[in-house]
Amino acid sequence: MIEVEHLVKSYRELKAVDDVSFQVQSGEILGFLGPNGAGKTTTMRILTGVLPPTSGKAKVCGFDVFENPIEVKKRIGYLPENPPVYTDMTARAYLRFVASIKGVPRKARESEIERVATKTSCTQFLHRVIGNLSKGQRQRVGLAQALLGDPEVLILDEPTVGLDPAQIIEVRELIKSLAGKHTIVLSTHILPEVTAICQKALIIAQGRVVAYDTLEGLQRAHAGAVTADGSPGPMPSLEEIFLKLTSL
Amino acid sequence: MKNAIAIAKKELNIYFATPIAYVMFTLFVVIGSYFFLRLLGSYEQASLMYMRFNSPEMMNRLNFQDAIFRNLFGNLGVILIFIIPFLTMRLVAEEKRQKTMELLYTTPITPGEIVWGKYLAAILILVCTLALTLLYPVLVQLVAKDQTGVEWRSIFLGYAGLFLLGAAYMALGLFISALTESQVVAALITFVVLLMTWIIGWTAQETEGSMREVVTYLSSVSHLDSFSRGTLDLKDLVYFLSICALGLFATHRAIEAHRWS
Repeated sequence: MIEVEHLVKSYRELKAVDDVSFQVQSGEILGFLGPNGAGKTTTMRILTGVLPPTSGKAKVCGFDVFENPIEVKKRIGYLPENPPVYTDMTARAYLRFVASIKGVPRKARESEIERVATKTSCTQFLHRVIGNLSKGQRQRVGLAQALLGDPEVLILDEPTVGLDPAQIIEVRELIKSLAGKHTIVLSTHILPEVTAICQKALIIAQGRVVAYDTLEGLQRAHAGAVTADGSPGPMPSLEEIFLKLTSL
Repeated sequence: MKNAIAIAKKELNIYFATPIAYVMFTLFVVIGSYFFLRLLGSYEQASLMYMRFNSPEMMNRLNFQDAIFRNLFGNLGVILIFIIPFLTMRLVAEEKRQKTMELLYTTPITPGEIVWGKYLAAILILVCTLALTLLYPVLVQLVAKDQTGVEWRSIFLGYAGLFLLGAAYMALGLFISALTESQVVAALITFVVLLMTWIIGWTAQETEGSMREVVTYLSSVSHLDSFSRGTLDLKDLVYFLSICALGLFATHRAIEAHRWS
């Protein structure tokens, strides 16, 4: 579904993304991990066609992000770090606008808005002006926007930031329920989130991939030495692996 | 095209959800009415004077178009310089500041559609602004029932000129808004640029020869005069349309460049 090969993005001397390659199969959830400034957001912005890469290739649903951006964008739902909402519009007017530029047919628009609003539990505040909503509510409107048009691929940049604990669980359940039908790339630095919802994890630090495996594979690879009686060493938590790999 | 209309709808939604459009409409009408009343007053004085001196020749020469509307359109053109920066400042700058540009970049719409959509909304706001002043010729027509009344053909040409002038200003404002993240900076620079296109005309009196022609050609408000006299000059039409085209093209470039930075 998503294929990234030797992706490089440099800003003058600074290499924000340095030779990143990975693949996400259809229906999978990939956890995208890394400390702040590691290049997570930059990679996601390249995948969604916001930024052109310096070199390397990225393909989504078989379309090259750079050569065929419109086809890629038709198949992607993207939630950036800050939900891209117009604070002067009501949530419903905003979702109507996004639905129309995403090409949702006019007749299906209202039912589509109801669908995503129910999924993200936005229905109670659809009539309110977004500027008056709380951070968590805005985040949910942002998430609803990404789901509009039922895109095959979802790219979510820290989707649970600003939510309260109950909502975090809700959103995690939502993302889990979307897997299978959608291919999801999810960036976060909340590690339990990855353990809770992702099958695979990609850890990057300073623009480079330092680990890319299934969660079990990661744990096995970083397990402690075999003890004297022959039993395998203690399994490390994802947190330990993350700290070990990123504290270069 | 469908996407451009969607963008335009959204822009209009925001224009009318915030007070900015209403404030600018009010400002335009209040200042416009002041000029209209003054011109009407001087028309009245002139006609009284001619009547007193009993000079029917002068009376015949006095008409609404030359005495009122030609000057009024010139004044309205200048008022546009003061209100258009506030109508265009938000268009792109605010999208950049609120990071909603990212939303537009990740949905299947092209930069061209973004530019057209935003410009279309700006043009519709301009039409609303100008339509409010249609009250003046209608009033004159109502009052001057017994006389020949206003020449509607000339009035509409005058409005066409005002519209083209406003459209050119809007295109420049849109471009400047695409260069910055700050609405205040966008408004200020747009205002200065528009003001320059007016002020440069003042120097025409002091220069001579080809310099004078260049200066007169550059001055935006001077191109309005042929329209408000009730004539259509191709040279002026070309002037306005080329500024519109230039502004839109530059905006398109600026949006593309913002993406690559």
